[in-house]
Amino acid sequence: MGRFSNKEAGIISNVDLKTFKGQLVHWIFVAVLIVFCVVSVIPTLWVVMTAFKDSKEIYVSRSFFPVNCSPSTAWSRISDAWVKLQLGDSIINTFVKSLGDWFFTIVFCGFAGYSLSKLKPKGTKLVFTLIVWTMLMPGQIRMVPNYITMLHFPFAFDIGGVNLLNTYWSLWIPNAANAFKIILFKNNFDALSNSFVEAAKIDGCSDFGVFFKIMLPLSMPILLFVSITTLEVAWADYFGPLIYLTDNITLPLKIYQMKTDVTIQMNTYFMGLMFACIPPAIIFLVMQKHIMGGITVGGVKG
Amino acid sequence: MNNLINRDKRITGKSKIRLFVKKNASGWLFLLPTVLILYTMVWRPTVMAGVWSLFKMRAYTIGEFIGLNNYKMVISHSQFVPILINTLKYVFWSLIIGFIPPVVLAIMINEVVYFKSASKIILYLPTIVPGIVCMIMWTYIYSPEPTGLLNMLLSKVGCGSFGWLNNPDFTIVGIIIMKTWKGLGGAMLLYYAGLQNVNSELYEAAVLDGAGMWKRAWNVTRPALAATLVLNFVNQINAVFQTLDEPLTMTGGGPNGASATLAYQLFQYGFRSGGKSTGQAMALGVIIFAILIVLTIFYFHVNKKIEENY
Repeated sequence: MGRFSNKEAGIISNVDLKTFKGQLVHWIFVAVLIVFCVVSVIPTLWVVMTAFKDSKEIYVSRSFFPVNCSPSTAWSRISDAWVKLQLGDSIINTFVKSLGDWFFTIVFCGFAGYSLSKLKPKGTKLVFTLIVWTMLMPGQIRMVPNYITMLHFPFAFDIGGVNLLNTYWSLWIPNAANAFKIILFKNNFDALSNSFVEAAKIDGCSDFGVFFKIMLPLSMPILLFVSITTLEVAWADYFGPLIYLTDNITLPLKIYQMKTDVTIQMNTYFMGLMFACIPPAIIFLVMQKHIMGGITVGGVKG
Repeated sequence: MNNLINRDKRITGKSKIRLFVKKNASGWLFLLPTVLILYTMVWRPTVMAGVWSLFKMRAYTIGEFIGLNNYKMVISHSQFVPILINTLKYVFWSLIIGFIPPVVLAIMINEVVYFKSASKIILYLPTIVPGIVCMIMWTYIYSPEPTGLLNMLLSKVGCGSFGWLNNPDFTIVGIIIMKTWKGLGGAMLLYYAGLQNVNSELYEAAVLDGAGMWKRAWNVTRPALAATLVLNFVNQINAVFQTLDEPLTMTGGGPNGASATLAYQLFQYGFRSGGKSTGQAMALGVIIFAILIVLTIFYFHVNKKIEENY
């Protein structure tokens, strides 16, 4: 029990861990954590297990794990489901949507953060206050007015303008300016010294150059955090496409519409759910350290 | 001579403006896209919803001024009060079920010596499952058929099937359990981050003073988390009050409207009424907005007090 004596003081301190009571509390904590971890994993695991079951097996067997599932049958079930579900187009749409969201968020929120932090033009205070208020305003009130705006963008009335319904722009534009992300960028740039900006400007660098060549590279952790969260939210976005798109729909909407399709068996359908989880899961696996660290960064905001 | 001086003054006046513009131009340019988007997508629509709620709407075009008629129609709708109560039930159950576990789990993860980082990562896993997949997954878990996961478990213990989401007393609780399952990891990490800011010398001093575990938790841990607790409390009420996706995709507001929320009703008015009730959608939006703004002001009030105290 070497680790016990090295524990930093906390609610349980290393003195407590020498007593029976302290050790008991510690192991109860571990037990509770294990229970919650199991509950966290079981539902997703069940979907994956059911996806690999035979279509009759779902209704007959009461086993959690698929029976008679060798790697080759598993592979054939994946490829059968892929052929049956025809998700290719909607996956491409979702990728385009997500990458657009990501690009506009980084550029626009980054620009705004840079301006509010370093350039500070006249009116900065007013804009910043409005942005903070934006964060607190409930979103539901905008649902119908935003739809009307999309009908004749950028006007609120029918006085010309472009109908953006059924285009990617109707998804990209509302997501491009996010108050929380602007403030994250601003706080992060605040921590960088002004002398970087001044030195670059003396060397003849424009503000765009300063932003892309100096500010962004110096803000890697926050850039990664914003990128990851934007991509995950964009990939999972269901409500935007539901309102604004009719054809060329994205994956979450496609998956939802397939729920009522009687020709799709439950195991095939669950395979589709699994496909939808793969890109965010890959991002998580690769970026795990940054996600865990980034939330700490975001959490300081208070 | 006089003329010359005047001209000089004019020039300096002009160059002042030029200097002012030059000094601010790039800053404004960088802010412009964001301000334009926030204006068209957030600030203007919020105001317009208030204005249009006083007009008769023909689908998505504006008709004549009708005063508070839209509000009257929303409030006198036979389902308005039940739906408002449903929405409050969501908030109530989410505070009962979902508010405490993330704090407790964060504290536990912070205290344990074994299984620390593994549990942090595993508890975060549900957060990365896309929302719609979560909802569909849990609809199947709650499925009243014997193939549903929970009914499968019940049959293993030897009990009969249960209606789950089809049971009007359980739907809201069921949806809240799903939301808690999905949101637990993110909230837990926020609290965990807060706990990292506590200086361990405070605990050491408390140990020397002879404070037991409960006293340390109450006097050292609780104040460190107070600000995050209040913030999450308000955010959670705010978010749950606006619940929309879950009744829309999991229950369709049913059974018999038992899981419909105000936001769900707004969606129905706005997009599923064939354009007849768009005006009512705006009015309901304003009502939701008014309720939640009161909450936000309350938050600022409490937050100020906390900042003064600690």
